[in-house]
Amino acid sequence: MTLQGILTVAEQEFTIRIRAGRWRWLLGAWFGVLALVAGLIRLATQTVNGGKALDKGVVVYGGLTLLVLGLALLVVPTLSAQSVNGDRERGTLATLQVTRLTAGDIALGKFAAAWGTSLVFLALSLPPVLYAMTQGGVPFGRVVVVTVVVSLLLGSVIAISLFLSSALRRTTTSGVLAYLVVFALTVGTTVTFVLALALSTEHYTQTVPGYCPQQSVTAPCPTETFGGQRARPDRVWWLLAPNPFVILADAAPQLPPETAREKQQRLALEQRGVNVSNLRDSDPLGGLGRAVRSAHKAPGSSAGSPVWPWGLGFDVLVGGAALWLTTRRLRTPTRDLPLGQRVA
Amino acid sequence: MDGVVAHGVRRSFGPVEAVRGIDLTARPGEVTALVGPNGAGKTTLLLVLATLLVPDSGTVSVAGFDPVTQADEVRARMGWAPDVFGLYDNLTSREYLEFCGRAMKLAHYETRAAELLVQARLVEKADLPVHTLSRGQKQRLGLMRALVHSPSVLLLDEPAAGLDPRSRVELRELLRLLATRGCAVIVSSHLLADLEELADTVVFVDQGVTVGEHRLDALPAPALRTWRVRALTTPPLLKALKGTDHDQPTAAGVDVRLPSDEAAADLLAMLVGKGVRVVSCQPVGGQLEATYLELTQ
Repeated sequence: MTLQGILTVAEQEFTIRIRAGRWRWLLGAWFGVLALVAGLIRLATQTVNGGKALDKGVVVYGGLTLLVLGLALLVVPTLSAQSVNGDRERGTLATLQVTRLTAGDIALGKFAAAWGTSLVFLALSLPPVLYAMTQGGVPFGRVVVVTVVVSLLLGSVIAISLFLSSALRRTTTSGVLAYLVVFALTVGTTVTFVLALALSTEHYTQTVPGYCPQQSVTAPCPTETFGGQRARPDRVWWLLAPNPFVILADAAPQLPPETAREKQQRLALEQRGVNVSNLRDSDPLGGLGRAVRSAHKAPGSSAGSPVWPWGLGFDVLVGGAALWLTTRRLRTPTRDLPLGQRVA
Repeated sequence: MDGVVAHGVRRSFGPVEAVRGIDLTARPGEVTALVGPNGAGKTTLLLVLATLLVPDSGTVSVAGFDPVTQADEVRARMGWAPDVFGLYDNLTSREYLEFCGRAMKLAHYETRAAELLVQARLVEKADLPVHTLSRGQKQRLGLMRALVHSPSVLLLDEPAAGLDPRSRVELRELLRLLATRGCAVIVSSHLLADLEELADTVVFVDQGVTVGEHRLDALPAPALRTWRVRALTTPPLLKALKGTDHDQPTAAGVDVRLPSDEAAADLLAMLVGKGVRVVSCQPVGGQLEATYLELTQ
């Protein structure tokens, strides 16, 4: 496997891709939808406190980011889910396999082309993001982290779809299964988490020092015991961890705390009777992130620890395994051939 | 030895035994024809030689290397053209050949692509998308892909299928030229008349087994061969042929089955002797076809 080989395949795949579809229209529509939604969210923030709310950008950026991830998850399975078996059907795979390109060159080249295409989509979302940043309250670090996390998540889904296209004979089957994978990662994890949460319910008793103000200080106060039912999300949080939206929201750095100067300004305004509302409290990413972290914490502990390293680690690991398996399936000469699959 | 040597090759797909023991030798500088009915295992054998399938058993050597354990060495020296075009419709011919050259790790892939475009007479169409090419042009482009790295072994699976007569003649000439330059060429084809003018050696396969391997100039004489006799008027001919093994007359003449060339000469002498006005008397189909029909079921 060489970089030269991977680039040869990727360049070729990319050229074919660009010439095959109506990309200008698709990319234009993508950009148009994102710009429209960013504008609409910005308009909606205008209704809060007569348009005088601070940090409107936080809401615009949060909404935009979740939309970009959602739409991108709908687009990316098509980029690789028919890549290998489609080539098999057209008879172009075998002619590639008898060249000096290795199975790894072909697998990684196809992956790079599909991932690169998805990054073009992501890059087109940057102008609306920059607009959101001008509306205040979005730290630069958050944009960087979110962009990196989204591209890693898209890469994982693309790798899984690529594996499906190498493992299944029919392009329609692999296409449908790739969408089912996206469905499982998003809706599936959420539903499973909610159902498991119900099963995690336990009976608990707790003993606490009693309250007896009448008693003298020397005599010990009798303890009190109470109990009840409670759910234990800390036992099932991991079911939610691979969810791309959860990972994204939790990985997005928290907004920096209000500085002393900002607080002073706010209090001064409030003293003069000006009602100041701050939209940082409506941060969609921060809200989701805090909810997930609180699910991660055991009862009684004060702060939840981050969930995203587990989830992102899991998704990237599965994606890496999928790439490795794709390479194995592309290796020739072939010993075992699935029934009905043609070599050439 | 360079060229191709296959011995006792077997390969099955699940319960289906596609190849059950094929032997084949293809020498450098020669064209070897692989002939047999559909489903005889020709394509499977070529896939094994082309480093795409692992044989269940048997020994194979392509250009002096083992296609299973030394696939990359084989690929650097072997060109393979399958029975499907396998081209990318949206690329131009030039882009396609340059891509193939890069995939073969050629340093001067642009020069090589330009050379091959000349050889394939595709210069005028070089910068048009592949889907605008005719069938014959696509076939030539596919062949050039197999030749991009100047291989010493060339494997062609039905290269002439669907080609017009002129393209077939050109293909024949190209393959002869490659053989003259020292390439070991293996051609699987059903066009026996073409092969008769092209091949040096013929390997007959049937039901996954080699049933005969012969020099084309030393084909075994078939037991019975069909001769077609035509006369100015048919009734006297039929009368004279009474007692021989012949078919109903057609517009082309009367087909008679005869055991040898001597028998044919005797028959002709007899017909002329009896005053039949014979216009022509010739064997039907080539000798290759006769041998093929006898060796395969």
